[in-house]
Amino acid sequence: MAQRPSKDAKRDDRGLSAREKAPPTFVGQRVKPAVIVVGADKGGVGKTTIARALLDYLAANNVLTRAFDTETPRGTLRRFHPDQTTIVDLTSTSDQMKIIDTLGTAEVKVSVVDVRAGGLEPALQALQDTGFLDAVREREVTFILFHVLGSSIASLDEIAEVAPYVDDADYFLVKNHVNDTTFFEWDPVTHRRYFEKVETAGEVTIPKLNELSYEQVELAGTSFSTFVANRAADGEPADHSFVLRGYVRTWQSKIADEFDRIRLLELIAGREAR
Amino acid sequence: MRRRSFVFVACSPHPRTGVSTTARLLTDFHLSRHAPVEGFDTDPHASRYAELFPAHVRAVDAADIKGQISLFDRLLVNDETPKIVDVWSRSYDRFFGTVREIGFVEEARRNGVEPVILFHVDPSQTSLARAHALHAAWSDVAMVVVNNEGASPLGAAAHEILAHYPASRKFVIAPLDAAVARSLESPELSLSGFLVAPPPAMSIVVRAALKAWLAPIFTQFRSFELRQQLNGAEFLR
Repeated sequence: MAQRPSKDAKRDDRGLSAREKAPPTFVGQRVKPAVIVVGADKGGVGKTTIARALLDYLAANNVLTRAFDTETPRGTLRRFHPDQTTIVDLTSTSDQMKIIDTLGTAEVKVSVVDVRAGGLEPALQALQDTGFLDAVREREVTFILFHVLGSSIASLDEIAEVAPYVDDADYFLVKNHVNDTTFFEWDPVTHRRYFEKVETAGEVTIPKLNELSYEQVELAGTSFSTFVANRAADGEPADHSFVLRGYVRTWQSKIADEFDRIRLLELIAGREAR
Repeated sequence: MRRRSFVFVACSPHPRTGVSTTARLLTDFHLSRHAPVEGFDTDPHASRYAELFPAHVRAVDAADIKGQISLFDRLLVNDETPKIVDVWSRSYDRFFGTVREIGFVEEARRNGVEPVILFHVDPSQTSLARAHALHAAWSDVAMVVVNNEGASPLGAAAHEILAHYPASRKFVIAPLDAAVARSLESPELSLSGFLVAPPPAMSIVVRAALKAWLAPIFTQFRSFELRQQLNGAEFLR
């Protein structure tokens, strides 16, 4: 398991702490860059679904966004959002550079990173090692983390593992009901024991989308919004069921309500929304 | 004139208000003029309406997504074929919940499809409340209250009760004598066929009573249809 940062800055093999390394600087940029990481260590909790919903939400709000898919080499997110998604390996220096070094210079200021299963903590470690988290601390860049939870205790353990990296982030716990997961509200003691370990910006609940609608969007291989617009992946008119499109549209609308509730757009714009 | 297709939603939150009878009558009204018509029976267990018109009506399960697809996707096709939905009272909440969730009314309007709610009244306050709830949800959707005097008599206060419903028009289905009503139960009896050639075995008294019953009902349907055509006539705007 990757080392976790402590309050005392860790030193790397050259004897430099992350803080002593030159952190990427974004000072002077007209628009503050924002990085939104969607991740979980557990698989099958719907990370990519949430990343897809997030990209649709941002596009609907005219927020230009680029996306990074860390599921190498195939990339599920890229399949649904090919035009804006790049597949990266977050443990590779050159791919880290693709994301971090371009934050200040890229025309698109919002980056969504869909972290593959098991990759959240290494990804956060990489962000720590590159000095990205220092830049977040200096308020040069906005960092939002959507931590997608499963129903098991393992997911709760992840919260404790992630906690050291998110002091300066807007850290949201995401309960994804797309796959009918039931969560642990039934046991307030367990819930409190884990959740008191970290200060979060709040919780986001992703409602359930019926299986048939979900499956049809998968088969169509398009973004949810493209499916709702009754278009195929190549932009040509499609013949998707109106009923299924209606369900997807309603589901998207509920998710948008959740993102509006946490004032995601204000967070991205660098305003204090909380 | 702009192409329009009507979707008639015969419904009531309560059983035994004459919903299936209206669906049947409306279907026969169109068939009697050799006009195309398509029906949907949302009672998957006892699809009486579908049994009466095997060539024109299909049973769908409104609680099942595949059933919803075969129902709503078809209703949205603007092919000028009137479509009639017999909403089983137990499907009522699910049906209108789905209508709301998938944005059916808005999409229907975009496609030139005109939904018409045929709300079947009964004397209960909940019936009135549910009609108002539908009107509040879709205030621009035409609502016609249907008073089936045989299935759900309103009594002497009928006019007063109906006045409280949020509808601009009403259909009245008169009660039938029990002996005549029994003749309607035969699945072989086609009302549209009956008007052209009554079954020879049918009593003359029953024939006369059925014709007398049907004539004002079909007149109301025709009147409604003409009114809608006038409303849709662009040269009269």
